[in-house]
Amino acid sequence: MKKYIVLLVLFCLQGISAQVTFTATPSRTKVGVNERLRVEFKMSADGDNFVPPSFRGFKAAGPSQTISNSWGTNRKRTFTKTYTYVLTPTIKGVFTVGQASIEVEGKTYKTTPFKITVGRAVAKPNDPAAALAQNAGKDIHVVAEVSKSNPYINEPISVVYKLYVGQNESLRGTRQVDVPQFSDFWNQDIKIPNSTVRQVTYKGESYRAIELKKVVLYPQKSGKLEIGPLSLELTIDVPTGRRDYFGRPVMGQTTKVKTSGSRIINVKPLPENGKPEDFSGAVGDFSFQAKPSKTTLSNGESLQLTVKVSGKGNLKLFNLPKPVVPSALEMYDPEHNEDVATPLSGMKGSITDVYAIIPQNKGKYPIKPMSFTYFNPKTGNYNTITSEEIMVDVLDVPDNASANADTTTSGTQKQAVKTTEQFRFVSLKTNLRSVNRKDFFGSTLFYILLLVPFLLIPVIMLLKKQKQARDNDVAGNKIRKNNKLAKKYLSEAKKHLGDKEPFYVALEKALHNFLKAKLSIETSEMEKENIQELLSARNATPETITDFIKIMDSCEFARYAPSSGEAMQQDYDNAVSIITALEKQI
Amino acid sequence: MKKLLYILTVVLCFTQGWAQSAFEEGNTLYTDGKYSEAAKKYESVLENKQESAEVYFNLANAYYKMNRVAPAIYNYEKALLLKPNYKDATINLGYAQKMAIDDIQAVPEVGFSKMVYNFTGAYHYDAWAWGAVVGAILFLLLFVGYYFAGTTTLKRVFFVGMFMTLLGIIVAILSAVFVKSEGAKERPAIVYEEVVSVKSEPRDTAPDAFILHEGSKVYVTETLGNYKKIELADETEGWIEKDAIKELK
Repeated sequence: MKKYIVLLVLFCLQGISAQVTFTATPSRTKVGVNERLRVEFKMSADGDNFVPPSFRGFKAAGPSQTISNSWGTNRKRTFTKTYTYVLTPTIKGVFTVGQASIEVEGKTYKTTPFKITVGRAVAKPNDPAAALAQNAGKDIHVVAEVSKSNPYINEPISVVYKLYVGQNESLRGTRQVDVPQFSDFWNQDIKIPNSTVRQVTYKGESYRAIELKKVVLYPQKSGKLEIGPLSLELTIDVPTGRRDYFGRPVMGQTTKVKTSGSRIINVKPLPENGKPEDFSGAVGDFSFQAKPSKTTLSNGESLQLTVKVSGKGNLKLFNLPKPVVPSALEMYDPEHNEDVATPLSGMKGSITDVYAIIPQNKGKYPIKPMSFTYFNPKTGNYNTITSEEIMVDVLDVPDNASANADTTTSGTQKQAVKTTEQFRFVSLKTNLRSVNRKDFFGSTLFYILLLVPFLLIPVIMLLKKQKQARDNDVAGNKIRKNNKLAKKYLSEAKKHLGDKEPFYVALEKALHNFLKAKLSIETSEMEKENIQELLSARNATPETITDFIKIMDSCEFARYAPSSGEAMQQDYDNAVSIITALEKQI
Repeated sequence: MKKLLYILTVVLCFTQGWAQSAFEEGNTLYTDGKYSEAAKKYESVLENKQESAEVYFNLANAYYKMNRVAPAIYNYEKALLLKPNYKDATINLGYAQKMAIDDIQAVPEVGFSKMVYNFTGAYHYDAWAWGAVVGAILFLLLFVGYYFAGTTTLKRVFFVGMFMTLLGIIVAILSAVFVKSEGAKERPAIVYEEVVSVKSEPRDTAPDAFILHEGSKVYVTETLGNYKKIELADETEGWIEKDAIKELK
């Protein structure tokens, strides 16, 4: 019995060990370079650590693993585990597929290497289904239609992605796998309301066409720009090559990815030549206007200034010119409005900025002309539209701030006197002077006029001093007085020449006074002897003295004796000559 | 010689009379609202080398009515240079300045220097000079009064008067000197170009420091080639093309 058991165990062991097989089987050993072959690694036990060989010269796909269990007629269990690779040759030549290994219960099993000859491409690939799948979708195209391939910066271009399906193809469904990217473009999608299939002719053949995506692009920089591809995964009906019971071809389905390919457009920069300084990037064809709601304001009214650009072009992509107003006008930030429609040909419509302007003071305020510059890609020129200058006339502004303060503080409703100054009328009178006249300040005349009063001060003082000195000199004064009197009477005598009485009186007075002045004597001392003495004491010549006495005598006589006019004349002449002589001698 | 002097006098009187009549014609035109003709008349007065604060003032008014900011401000300033305390010109200049775009905030003078500027700036230096001359004559009269006055009280009054007058003369002369030197230092100008960018350096390629508009008042500090260095009332500085501004002196 024991012997049996041992035998059985031995048998079993032997049976197991004998049954592990591990083989590599290629489907063929000679292939064309455009064909494929299948390699199966088959084992009869459930091994671990399968290590595939290196498939040099091939592109390997797989492995796909299958396990099958079967029991034969003698109730014998058959186990098979298969790893399958699909190899695609990459180049021609003879290649060796090396050993694959597997471990079964600690033991390593290896396959035998085998050789595969890769020949030149065969005309008809061996796999009919694959061939059919490859041919599928040959007549289906995804195309990007670009309206213009060399636009200017900011000139709109449109891209329409279309799907063309040939008459022999049948398409089950589509799925977008790659959505186009438009970097360096400002883009706007245009909605396709109901995609309808249309019959078109494409490349001379009849196709069914559908629009997939429409987009308007504004290039934002110059140079070669790429419009990204649109890729579609298509589910296509393909004939399997078999026919069903009724003889109709049985259709299978396959998926294919079709792409429009990326398109390169060459964006031209805007010409630098003649580019105005205030160009803000507007490209298209526009009209421009700046319109105030009113130009005459009163009672604190505000003003609405509308700056509007309308037309076709990159309306959303530039800024409107900003009005320049005097600082005395308060201008608030604008309200921006856009009324832009975007058809395939590019944006059109208008954009407006509405500014609220509130005057602070009365007066006239100019709002400077605004200019708007755009580039017209059709003509290739820059155009500038300049608005007219707007003159805002503020008639008056309510001074509510000050009025409020007044009523609250005083409590009485007083009409505040308006302190704002009115604009002054021209001056009607003037004193014209030469433009080239010299400055008065710093001129000689100035210094003279300034210094003369000061120089006059010592002069005045000197004059006063002299006068005082003279006033103090009593004797001198007397002499001067008598001298003056002598002259006075002498001239009086001359006046009365011919009239005896007053003439001789005056002549005598003149002589007396002369003597008083010269000899410093009083009338009481007027004795002839005395006079003679005094005169001779003062070095007068005796003849003169006698003549003098003679004149005095004749004066006395003449009063009582008749006298002719001739004598009077002679006496007068004598008196004058004697006085002159005495004047000299004394 | 005498004949020449006579002819010269006649010619001078003739031009003066002619200019006077042009001034009056200008006023008539202005009253009728013919501002540009009025401005031409006033300009013809100036072209004949005759001037007065009033001519500049009326001319500026005409320009203001024609909405020409820069010439208006220029001529108001010119009038105020001749007659610093010309109130009408000051008021209308305020109106003209509101038309200008730029709002330059002057750095305010404070304390003593403000007082000095306000006081001395009220008159032209020639006016101060005439004041000094009048003071000198008054001083002389007061001295005479003092010197010949009979009573001590009267003498005292005259003496105090003399002292005050002397002080007045000194102040007037100092003011004239101050006003003249300040005026010589200052070179005000008015921007005539509608918009002009002020550069940070006197080169065409230099970056813009700031932008000035028509009618702004600037002070020229230096000149280099085609550029003038200017300073604004708020003490910012820059270089401006020399043709963009017109100097007042």
